[in-house]
Amino acid sequence: MKKQRLLRLVGVAGLGAAVSGIGLDAPWLACLGTAGVACGALTFRRRTDRKPSAEAAALSAKVAAVVAAPPSPGEPVDTGGLVRQMLAQGRYTLLLRPQITANLTQAQIQKAIEALVEQTALVPAGQLCIGLAGKESDPLENEGYEPASSGVVVEVEEFLLDRYPVTNSQFQQFVDAGGYAQAALWDPQVWPAVVDFVDRTGCPGPRFWSGGRHPHGEERHPVVGVSWYEATAYARWAGKRLPTDPEWEKAGSWPLQLSDTTLLQRRYPWGDLMERERANLWGSGPNRTVSVDEYEGGVSPGGVHQLIGNVWEWTYDDFSQAAHKRPGLALGTAMKCVRGGAFDTYFDVQATCQFVSGENPVARKHNVGFRCAVSTADLVAAARPDPLDTSLVEAGQAAEEIGV
Amino acid sequence: MTKDTAVTLDSYRLAQYAVQVPCYICEQGNTFDAELCRHCFAPMALAHQANTQKVFSSMLATIGPSGVGKTVYLGMLMDMLSRNKERLQLLARGAFSINLQQAATQALARGEFPDKTPNEPDRWNWVHCQVQLPRHRKPVELIMPDMAGEAILEEVDHPHSFHVVRQMLLKCGGVLLMVDAARLHAGSLDQDYFSMKLLSYLIELDNHPKRGWQNRPLALVFTKADDCEACFDDPASFAKRYSPGLWRHCQERFRHHQFFAAGVSGACASCNTPDGRQRVPLRIEPRGIIEPFEWLVEQIGRR
Repeated sequence: MKKQRLLRLVGVAGLGAAVSGIGLDAPWLACLGTAGVACGALTFRRRTDRKPSAEAAALSAKVAAVVAAPPSPGEPVDTGGLVRQMLAQGRYTLLLRPQITANLTQAQIQKAIEALVEQTALVPAGQLCIGLAGKESDPLENEGYEPASSGVVVEVEEFLLDRYPVTNSQFQQFVDAGGYAQAALWDPQVWPAVVDFVDRTGCPGPRFWSGGRHPHGEERHPVVGVSWYEATAYARWAGKRLPTDPEWEKAGSWPLQLSDTTLLQRRYPWGDLMERERANLWGSGPNRTVSVDEYEGGVSPGGVHQLIGNVWEWTYDDFSQAAHKRPGLALGTAMKCVRGGAFDTYFDVQATCQFVSGENPVARKHNVGFRCAVSTADLVAAARPDPLDTSLVEAGQAAEEIGV
Repeated sequence: MTKDTAVTLDSYRLAQYAVQVPCYICEQGNTFDAELCRHCFAPMALAHQANTQKVFSSMLATIGPSGVGKTVYLGMLMDMLSRNKERLQLLARGAFSINLQQAATQALARGEFPDKTPNEPDRWNWVHCQVQLPRHRKPVELIMPDMAGEAILEEVDHPHSFHVVRQMLLKCGGVLLMVDAARLHAGSLDQDYFSMKLLSYLIELDNHPKRGWQNRPLALVFTKADDCEACFDDPASFAKRYSPGLWRHCQERFRHHQFFAAGVSGACASCNTPDGRQRVPLRIEPRGIIEPFEWLVEQIGRR
């Protein structure tokens, strides 16, 4: 009986959240209200443990009030407005899901595809040799291309990776949209700790922000001071995910398979020699984060910027003994992988595509950020870019130049 | 019958042996060809350099408990300042001055911490260097030994047991006192007690109203602060909260002191080795290394 009542109220809460988000004329977008549904569900379930009846009544009243209330100023009331808002927020991949595109106009799909092509780079499917980092302390030992036999060969599916790390202004969209209050975006085990993910002034947001706002003048700097869980929550909100460790490495080392036993992999996205002017590392930069647009010389063959330097990047995988290839390594706490080095990375050998380090997933460090990925298999066929077709990118660049 | 033979004339050597060369640290006499002082085991190269180049070198001591990170700090500091990327520039004098930097950075690049400094003073690494400060025309000459924490503790507990530690602390113009922030943050007070012992020892060592330790600069460096980020935000508040004894000692007895936070490894893990479990750095990202040294050298320069 109690369970039935719970389910009924959860349904009301979810419906209310979905309807309030999209307007009554777009029921197909109800799936986008999943966050609201789960938020209501989790909130209710937690409160039910304390005062079931009073809380349920209060929630019912709140949902009824939300449904009855007119949309607040600035909130989209139609499909077009919602699509525009999602594009502005950088959530274009959500619009390119097969379940969604059938309900969009061709022009809306085209805009989402343009955003996708402009902001992500395709990393083709193929093999990658992982586990080469253990030999990196002596560059001469690891000179030139690595033969596949010295590591483990894994297969990586085709995916799209953000061209740049997630910036402060992009993360601001997530904060402003109430991302820290939407339980569905967060791993259940960390949800009780989300209240601790606050900035200097106690507002929800990255650690080094103030008043829920990013530092002035650092709009295009990569967001830092975010835990692995915050990065994951942002990625979910944006309709993406964190790249896996092999995916990140493949995007940078850009392997070429010459034969069944020979994989050519780069140490750095630009080649095999460290050229410090191509990356923001200790001694080559101002010893702080810089805009994601800088250090263009460090771009990968696929068009991904700043894989090396500026900020370490969270990846999805656990930093286990296998990841580091160090016998006897014992981790006190579970760690997640970070890749690429940061503005204060001291040794060249720790700023390669192969080097992997670990960090506590709840740590909010000054030099750790992230970028997102999305599998092409999760998007409609029309959204899978042809790596050789640059017309959309060129169109976007031309539009930027003339100020459109 | 006589036969011509070549006989080396060694009388000039005898003359050199007759003149004692004072050690730069303890000022006790040594033979001209001694490598280390036979009294305190400091390198005699310091004395020879001072005699030949006619420069007066200031001394700076790095003290703290065993395992606090003195070797890593000094090695990293030397390497950073000698790479010509910082405002401060450092130039080593003598090949022996590069040993510490080499040992520390090579170990860190391998993903290990350098070996523990042995207790025997004849195996310590010494650094003699020139430091060029911004806005200063003349470089500062500095001597910095990497003393073993256990030897320092032994000297504090049993004065005169390590002559070199005593002489060094008597003569040096300032001190970098290292305290393990991670242990303090974890609730361990042994760092607090050890630091208080050291400060008391310094005051007792020289309490001259003008030249005494109460007027010499003291930089208190919380090491391993990567593990407790709050320490970087406000090291003085961290000291007040987690090391109240040390904080009070500084307030009451040292007129020129300042708190700093430093870290070298962004994250650490444990590694099971044949010698037992050891901590290993997962990456190297020095932070807060230059600041305490720069402050201390500025203070010494003013005096």
